[in-house]
Amino acid sequence: MTAPSIEVKDLSHWYGNLQAVKEVSFDVYPGEILGFLGPNGAGKSTTIKVLTGQLALQEGRAKILRRDIGREDPVLQSQIGVSFEEKNLYLEMSALENLNFFASLFGIRDAGSAEALQRVGLSDRAKDRVSSFSKGMRQRLMIARAFINKPSVLFLDEPTDGLDPVTANQIRKTIREEADRGAAVLLTTHNMHEADELSDRVAFINEGEIVALDTAERLKLEYGKRSIRVRLRDGDGVREEKLPLDGEQSSARLSELAASPDLMTIHTEEATLEAIFIHLTGRGLVG
Amino acid sequence: MSSNISAGRLLIALIKKDIRVYSRNMIYLFLMVLGLAFFVAIYWLVPDQVEEDITFAITPPLATLISEGKETLLEHGVPEYMLEEIEEVEAAFKEEEGFLLVEVENEDILKKVIGRELDVYKTDQDQIIIHDPGGDKEIPAGASKIVPDIGMSFPSSFLSDTVLGHEKPTVTVFADAAVPEEIRGAMEALIREMAYQLAGKDLPVEMPDEETIILGQDRIGDQISMRAKMRPLIAFFILMMETFSLASLISNEVLQRTVTALLVTPVRTWHFLMAKTLFGTALAMGQAVIVLILVGAFSATNWLLLLVIVLLGSLLFTAVAMLVGASGKDFIGQLMYSMLFLIPLMIPSFAVLFPGTVATWVNLLPTYPIVRLLHDVTIYGIHWLDSINLMIYAALWTLAIYGAGLFVLKRKVAAL
Repeated sequence: MTAPSIEVKDLSHWYGNLQAVKEVSFDVYPGEILGFLGPNGAGKSTTIKVLTGQLALQEGRAKILRRDIGREDPVLQSQIGVSFEEKNLYLEMSALENLNFFASLFGIRDAGSAEALQRVGLSDRAKDRVSSFSKGMRQRLMIARAFINKPSVLFLDEPTDGLDPVTANQIRKTIREEADRGAAVLLTTHNMHEADELSDRVAFINEGEIVALDTAERLKLEYGKRSIRVRLRDGDGVREEKLPLDGEQSSARLSELAASPDLMTIHTEEATLEAIFIHLTGRGLVG
Repeated sequence: MSSNISAGRLLIALIKKDIRVYSRNMIYLFLMVLGLAFFVAIYWLVPDQVEEDITFAITPPLATLISEGKETLLEHGVPEYMLEEIEEVEAAFKEEEGFLLVEVENEDILKKVIGRELDVYKTDQDQIIIHDPGGDKEIPAGASKIVPDIGMSFPSSFLSDTVLGHEKPTVTVFADAAVPEEIRGAMEALIREMAYQLAGKDLPVEMPDEETIILGQDRIGDQISMRAKMRPLIAFFILMMETFSLASLISNEVLQRTVTALLVTPVRTWHFLMAKTLFGTALAMGQAVIVLILVGAFSATNWLLLLVIVLLGSLLFTAVAMLVGASGKDFIGQLMYSMLFLIPLMIPSFAVLFPGTVATWVNLLPTYPIVRLLHDVTIYGIHWLDSINLMIYAALWTLAIYGAGLFVLKRKVAAL
């Protein structure tokens, strides 16, 4: 069996007396995207900061590519790519210069920066200074920078936060391509659609703890309630009826409604990740 | 991809990036070009000559003062040998090195001379001419204008009163508002000295306490022109100005958090700090060296020593920039910290421009040895052996501030 690219066991982290991450454990395998889904302040970014060496490992164990993590490990850090939540680019330099500079830090001579910019749709702005870029363009450049060293492990912190749907979809497509190439991707988001669409598995994180970790499908099956929504004509108006998908009573009622001349539409409905998150934590994903 | 990129290549990549970022910031460039042009222009504009004489005017003319005094003294039965001493005083007064005497007829003319209502000219034959600029008389050909700094009006009974001690004479001193305090003090001391010589006894006069910093000292017969004094100062100010740019470069890296993007690559904290040190030192040193070349400070004998001193100064200000860059939370904060650090560090330079105006505690400031070394090497041409103590002193300060700068910046980077 393939060894996980990221192995985390009982990882905890404190900011003073505040415990931001509480004994979290998870693995991410090559080619897999693990979505960390949780509201702001849940501990997602702190986990990434510890794993990428931005914060010291205080408690627990963590391995990346079978190497114990630690701050300032150049061998390890030459094989990871990180996209930060803040757009920390060199504004005085062009997009191409930013990528070439970071490539040079990995010792890459032929970085393929132009191709990387093409992938994120910035070819026509390659020589423009980043200070003239919009937020979405800067985010796309951040993603291109994270990929510049063809990393085996990618840490992406809120990669589509605040982007328009078109740009967000473009970035998700690029992330999927990287996973298809074989990179293990740890992605934090508080966007349930993104987690659902992009992640192979989803971890719900709340108040520093992982409360559930599985594929989106299984989480829905385990915690969600599927239902059928039936719309019927009712005089001049419309009435709706919602039936649980499972159960004999539902089946009989559904047959009855299906035979009704007033039947307009029948839709199946499945639980959303947000509904499951609320069910598990008692709070929403925003805020 | 290589995971074994050498430290050298990382440093080169980081420094190239710093050069690129620096060269694209219009404020940095403007400050650099303006600084270089401004200081070099100032250097060539300030006078290259030294005013060695103190010019002063007196009334009545010495001859009148002495003849009237002698008459009175003879009437009072003063022995002849004492009168000879008075004549010697007259001769000494006129021949005193560093003094140029303008004798005028009365106090009214004296006041007009000091108040610049009347001009004073000195001919080729050392004749002094008082000229009314509003009058018809022409200025003699070849005469050069002189400006008395101070005027003294002696009572006609000055000599007799002083020698006989009957009455305490009063000498009125007229000085233009622009005359420095020390010139006035010198004139007062001169009057006391004259009285002492004539009376032959020590007068109950207390001279003010004076403490002179050795920096920029006025060596006898070896006075320093303002231009020569500017030479070390220009290099020093260039180093100081570079602190602003470098601090800003460092703080931008921290505030925009680009440093965190660097530290998740094979770049280590020490690479970052070393690259900033190398870039900052090279930038400051390069500019200081250019300026020193433009003002002709380098010579065949001092170039290496001067380079070492400039290197020490560059390191010192790079370290200060690290402290400032790591301290400020935004541009205003950084500006405030810059002022906080740089104003005290600037004080030793005043000791060069205005010797005697600063106290001995200035010697304790970190920049003192740098300013002093720049001064002594560029002006007096001191050599390695004469410089070694100050160089060790400067190196110790540089190490201390550099250590503090590294510590603060490293903590700041680690806390991001």
